[in-house]
Amino acid sequence: MAITRRDFLRSSACAFGSMALASSIDTFGVVHALTPQAASDYKALVCVFLNGGNDGNNMFVSLDQYNGPAGSTVEGYSNVRAASGLAIAQASLLPVSPVSGGSYGFHPNMPEMQNLFNQGKLAVLCNNGPLVEPLTRTTYQNGAGKKPMQLFSHSDQIGLFQTAIANNVSQTGWAGRLADRTLGLNGAATFPSNVSIAGINLFLTGVDTRQLAVADSNTTLANVLQLNMSGSASEQASRLVAFNDLRTLDNNFKLVKAASDTRSSSIQTDNALSSVNPTLATVFPNTSIGRQLKQVALLIKACTDPAAGINMKRQIFFTQIGGFDHHSAEINGQINLLTQVSQAISAFYAATVELGIQDKVTTFTMSDFGRTFQPAGTGVNAVGTDHAWGNHHLIVGGAVLGHTLYGTYPILRLGGPDDTDGGTNPRGRWIPTTSVEQYAATLATWYGLSTADLPAVFPLINRFSTANLGFLA
Amino acid sequence: MKTCFPCCTGITFRLSLLACVLGLSLAAANAATNKKPVLLSQATNTRAVAFESVSMKAEPFPLTASLPMGNDLRTRICIFAMDLELLPGEGANAFTSDVQDASGKIYPLRVEFVGQVPNFPGITMIIVRLADDLGDVGDVLLRLNLHGMSSNRVRVAIGHSGGGPADDPGAVATPAPPTPPGADQPLVPDPYTGPASEADTVRFLEQASWGPTPSEIARVKAMGFKAYLDEQFGLAPTNTAKGSNYPDLTFPLDDSTQQCPTSNPADPNYNQNVCFRDHYTMYPVHRTFFSNALYGNDQLRQRVAFALHQILVVSANSEVNRPSWMTIYLQALDRNAFGSYRTLLNEITLTPAMGEYLDMRLSTRTNPNENFAREVLQLFSIGTDVLNPDGTAQRDAQGATIPTYSQADVNEFTRVFTGWNFATAIGAGITNFRDPMLPRGGQNHDAGAKTLLNGFSIPACSSPNGAANIACAQSDMTAVMNNLANHPNVGPFISKQLIQHLVTSNPSPAYVERVARVFNNDCNGLYPQGCTNTRGNLRFVVQAILLDPEARGDVKTDPNYGKLREPAQYITGFLRAFNPKSFDKSTTSDGVLGGRSSTDFTGSLDQPIFQPTTVFSYYQPSYEVPGTKILGPAFGILSTTTTLRRANNINTLIFNGVSANTSPTAASPDRPRGTSIDISNLEALAGNPADVVNALDALLLHGTMHPQMRTSIITAMNAINDANITTRHQKRARTAVYLVATSSQYDIQR
Repeated sequence: MAITRRDFLRSSACAFGSMALASSIDTFGVVHALTPQAASDYKALVCVFLNGGNDGNNMFVSLDQYNGPAGSTVEGYSNVRAASGLAIAQASLLPVSPVSGGSYGFHPNMPEMQNLFNQGKLAVLCNNGPLVEPLTRTTYQNGAGKKPMQLFSHSDQIGLFQTAIANNVSQTGWAGRLADRTLGLNGAATFPSNVSIAGINLFLTGVDTRQLAVADSNTTLANVLQLNMSGSASEQASRLVAFNDLRTLDNNFKLVKAASDTRSSSIQTDNALSSVNPTLATVFPNTSIGRQLKQVALLIKACTDPAAGINMKRQIFFTQIGGFDHHSAEINGQINLLTQVSQAISAFYAATVELGIQDKVTTFTMSDFGRTFQPAGTGVNAVGTDHAWGNHHLIVGGAVLGHTLYGTYPILRLGGPDDTDGGTNPRGRWIPTTSVEQYAATLATWYGLSTADLPAVFPLINRFSTANLGFLA
Repeated sequence: MKTCFPCCTGITFRLSLLACVLGLSLAAANAATNKKPVLLSQATNTRAVAFESVSMKAEPFPLTASLPMGNDLRTRICIFAMDLELLPGEGANAFTSDVQDASGKIYPLRVEFVGQVPNFPGITMIIVRLADDLGDVGDVLLRLNLHGMSSNRVRVAIGHSGGGPADDPGAVATPAPPTPPGADQPLVPDPYTGPASEADTVRFLEQASWGPTPSEIARVKAMGFKAYLDEQFGLAPTNTAKGSNYPDLTFPLDDSTQQCPTSNPADPNYNQNVCFRDHYTMYPVHRTFFSNALYGNDQLRQRVAFALHQILVVSANSEVNRPSWMTIYLQALDRNAFGSYRTLLNEITLTPAMGEYLDMRLSTRTNPNENFAREVLQLFSIGTDVLNPDGTAQRDAQGATIPTYSQADVNEFTRVFTGWNFATAIGAGITNFRDPMLPRGGQNHDAGAKTLLNGFSIPACSSPNGAANIACAQSDMTAVMNNLANHPNVGPFISKQLIQHLVTSNPSPAYVERVARVFNNDCNGLYPQGCTNTRGNLRFVVQAILLDPEARGDVKTDPNYGKLREPAQYITGFLRAFNPKSFDKSTTSDGVLGGRSSTDFTGSLDQPIFQPTTVFSYYQPSYEVPGTKILGPAFGILSTTTTLRRANNINTLIFNGVSANTSPTAASPDRPRGTSIDISNLEALAGNPADVVNALDALLLHGTMHPQMRTSIITAMNAINDANITTRHQKRARTAVYLVATSSQYDIQR
């Protein structure tokens, strides 16, 4: 196994003994020669995870299918969703006319997304979800096609979206593996490429890549990883020597070592961030997702500011907004949450424009799963939806070939050609027409992953017709 | 015990030869439990006595078997061990094994067979399968673990000989003794009726309580673990009527603006913020939780109930955000912590808080909602994969896991749970979050026939209407509870998680199996006294977990052993170790650890008590520590941010304490007394820093402190040289406490 530059950095960071360091120098010479050329430009991927499973059926509605056949209770948006109080009035949907044809409406609380769509900075990927291989209703129902594991379960489906491996439990996420494979693009920079503003997640975990997790913009970057020690400066200094020394001990116990490694990473990053103080003129909404995305924008500014000396070329960020598991009270729930999503993504895009890097940053949504087209419960304050599969996602940025749809919008018919469900009470769980792997591979290719490395990051990608859905320039 | 030897029929001769020629003998076997297994090596070095299975070839071992058998082409190798103390019937799934290559990378090996060598009853042959990701790495060091104890490491050549890591410090050759050893004695479980060792007492209290205190260590050490458990099982909680430590709270009006108007002329002491805090936030529940953790006597019930909360989750980070509502749920956890799992599942299912949290109360025949049906299957009872009795997943012919249920099953369970709602309102404008939910009647319950798991079916009810519909909902509930509680997955699924919460994140399958057997029948364990042939008896399950040989012993050397202390345990354990008091040290802490919300001492560590983000709790039992291939559930919330906050919170508690505060009002302050620790006993020892460090080693690390850790801490203490002796001793003691309590060595309960 070739020793990567990351291995060297990790071993040298851990090796406090000079012997160990000296013996690594030779290795470094070799490794340096093998390291790919650092990228000349900056690029970042920013994930906004809609935790709980956003009901894309109400976020982005086909106006052509708004009214189904008269009298039908199984086909058409209003026929299926209006009686229970789940349908959004046609007049209040925010209409758009995609280049790809048809007419659609954004959720009424997403005017910023409608605006970005019309500017060509936003694309909608329709009916996307985890797939092991392409499936149809027939091959799904007769068992001829391979299905993803544990469909419709939150934890597993979050895993499938974050790992992009639909037929197995993976302990690495696709952003983690992507960072493993593109490490060289960051040249000599040592700052963690993968950063979460929403706690630890599988998405950013690689074989070698470990994520940095920091708090949102309520805490300034200089203070975001601060170790507070009481006492005089000299007491702190001697205590810190011991504090650091203890982490070199008992590393044969794996959990002890894991705890020590996390803290060492934190302290190293603290040193890098201790003197930065980036500012932005763009105003972000004071919501959790707003503050998370603001912190991403601040980090991008700090990590690309030559004066700060961090000099990153490739970064992947993870942000998250929870509460989408609307088995009940979906109408008011989505009004609240999609307002936050739309305002925060819009502000973030504006911040990238302010930084002059809007073409270098791509923001995209992921979510556990879509939700049943048929409602659960009834009454505008109570009605919700259950777990389903295919879902619509938003992709935003200057590099996005926007104002159009990718994938295929499902036929809104219970028991129709896109529904998994047969029997007497089909619920409308859409079989995805593009896979998470294709979605992710498109983003990863733009980020800089080579075609040769695609299968290493996305092991099932060759089962699909294309590895590039074409929504990025 | 099996006597077939797929590996090597010529072993007898070779071992005889070794036995005749070699002179080094091993120390006499120790009678105590948890002996270290000894792997046999060559006479003069640490190279293993090892052969390739089937082919009998010596090393270097190819990665693919020389004589492959079946579809799995990976090489198996035979190694030999002595000094194994096995429980009757214990076999391969009691062992774990790994090898480490020259780069330091560790590869787990599956142990596939364990058996006595013919004519050498004291020598055991063990077959391990080379890991899939192991390449041609040359020499590796191989280890075997049993009951949390690690063997010596022996050298094995993989692919080619040579290279490899240096021998472990102090490693010596461990050849077979000149006289063949007699058979290993089976492990006889200690009854734990007599006094215990200090180190194991500390370990026991880390597992069975919110943390050892000096007085509890002395008391439990003297009384023994069995007597302590019996005492704990019998202790009445403070709210005896509810079987719980949580006091009954008043149910406020649903509308908080009516309950808590801006002013109340009738009450001169009225304050809106106080009203809101006490009726609509988790503040009263948090205070009870922390006060009980710090001072309550029924520590074991509290630990078990908190573990059960993380399995059968209702989160107040939802619409269920009233303390009175959560209290009913928490009381059910307390009441059944040592009771019947089936009763627990049934009571939690019908708790209004759960009905609201997972929407069962909305689910009706015509508008079914599958939220509860799915989570009761996935999380509260059987899990997603069909399990073996030892908790490992069963696999089909292609090696894939087998799902326990399909979407069709979820649909059937959804129908079973239709037609329930809250009982009659407590009063005008007060929804009944107090009493168990009741069937709605009408035609709201789906009265048709249903098929549950394992071929169990429920016939259609006599009539879909009215009283018959109510009776149908109730009989279906009984049937579904029986179907779930009797499913063979429940024992291993629940037992493994309880072990992970109390003892270790990576229990051996044999340990899980022993506990699961007790779950299946409380007489099927090592400690059957008082059993009644009952299934799901959590009291016996908890006892089996805590007295198991894999849990007990003074020290555990298996490198995978232990668990990260989750924030609640970390903070309360630290406080309990150091005599927690009010801020002014005149009385007890008020149990308010920091702010009122998720920013308190555990919330800031991503464990806001009773407010996990989702039904998947604060972290997941299947979380694997990146890069290790071992589970570390609580590592799911140990990030670069929370790791520093852990240290910073300890820093605050040692150097500042939590001061009292008088908001919202002096008459009803959030923190009437505050919190601090008292380390005066350590300050009194600080004239000799080593004495302080020794005391902390015993109290927090049960005597496992690394010598260099000791040296480093003493050096830091000696750097403090204030002229005032009181100041000097205080600062030195604080420095030592800080360094031990913030160490990774203390982070991990081992």
